[in-house]
Amino acid sequence: MAEEVKATWPKGEEIVSALLEKAPYAEGSVRRERRLEFKVPADRIVDFLRTAKASGFELLLQITAVDWPNEGEIELVYQLFSISHGTHAMAKTRVPRDDARISSVMDIYPVAETYERDAHEFYKVVFEGNPKLEMPWILEDEDREAGVSHRKDFDMLGYVKKKYKILDRFDEDKENYVI
Amino acid sequence: MVDWRLFDPLFEYARKRSMWIVSFCTGCGGIEMPPLATSRYDFERFGVMPNPSPRMADLFLITGYVTPKTLKRIIITYEMQPDPKYVLAHGSCPLNGGIYWDGYNAIKHLDKYIPVDVAIAGCMPRPEAVMDGIQKMMELIETGEADGWKRYKENYEWYRKNQDELFGEGWREKTARRWIPWLMDKKKEVKEE
Repeated sequence: MAEEVKATWPKGEEIVSALLEKAPYAEGSVRRERRLEFKVPADRIVDFLRTAKASGFELLLQITAVDWPNEGEIELVYQLFSISHGTHAMAKTRVPRDDARISSVMDIYPVAETYERDAHEFYKVVFEGNPKLEMPWILEDEDREAGVSHRKDFDMLGYVKKKYKILDRFDEDKENYVI
Repeated sequence: MVDWRLFDPLFEYARKRSMWIVSFCTGCGGIEMPPLATSRYDFERFGVMPNPSPRMADLFLITGYVTPKTLKRIIITYEMQPDPKYVLAHGSCPLNGGIYWDGYNAIKHLDKYIPVDVAIAGCMPRPEAVMDGIQKMMELIETGEADGWKRYKENYEWYRKNQDELFGEGWREKTARRWIPWLMDKKKEVKEE
């Protein structure tokens, strides 16, 4: 194992401290060169992204959802990109798994509409204020009615067996199959 | 009255040397089509030609995995083609799901939903393998063994049952109407009132 290299990036520290002055409720750190990381409470994400956009993070690249079943939380990662600073940043926030609600950021970054539909369809996160959440997206109606979701507790293999009626010869207790 | 069966060998020869394909690429095999069509492998010397409309096409290339969403369009396109029509399936995904064997969104046996005449193994088959498949298809057409379109007519109930089992009854109408509520211009409606 190579020794862990502590990457420092002075310019990144400046960006983080300048942004945290305007948004004291968030936590920020520099992960490595051109990778910044912010942790924001879920109810302040709109304020944080508005501040971030005003201070140079012009683009929203993606909204990713990560399921943490043991902690009972879903983590939403807002990937931001700054052309003026030349850096990538992620704003992470966590919402409870049972009642996953967060307000939409469509009015700050219009592109968020698409990514919010994506996270809603596959992780059942409700973005309040997005009018197109129920619009057909990637899943077909049959799958949507059957409740297909990429959350960890959804029994995907069982659903595939039921849907295509062909996988009965496999043992459910196995973790890996060789075919 | 001319007995047209006299001319069948001529017709079969003509069909064999003039397969036009539907421009419908699914999955990763669509990437194999440009080298096949252009000067390196050049399938036009077999009489195979890309064709913009299913109404003029003979050969349907299933170039990779098929999702339920694509399969609906494939079935509709296949039924739009005039007889005789032939299906050439590329790779292992249409055969048994391939690496998507446990994916909720890939068809496991394409042969249950539309008849497949020639299947090429491989993941992904190289252009040489696809040309071998085309050669095989030409042999089958000449000997009259490429009868998938006849099988589809004879066993239509069975194919239809499999399709309905997967998609639910009335999927054609449902798919056609799916987007209507979202395509209506809501601002316009308010103005008319």
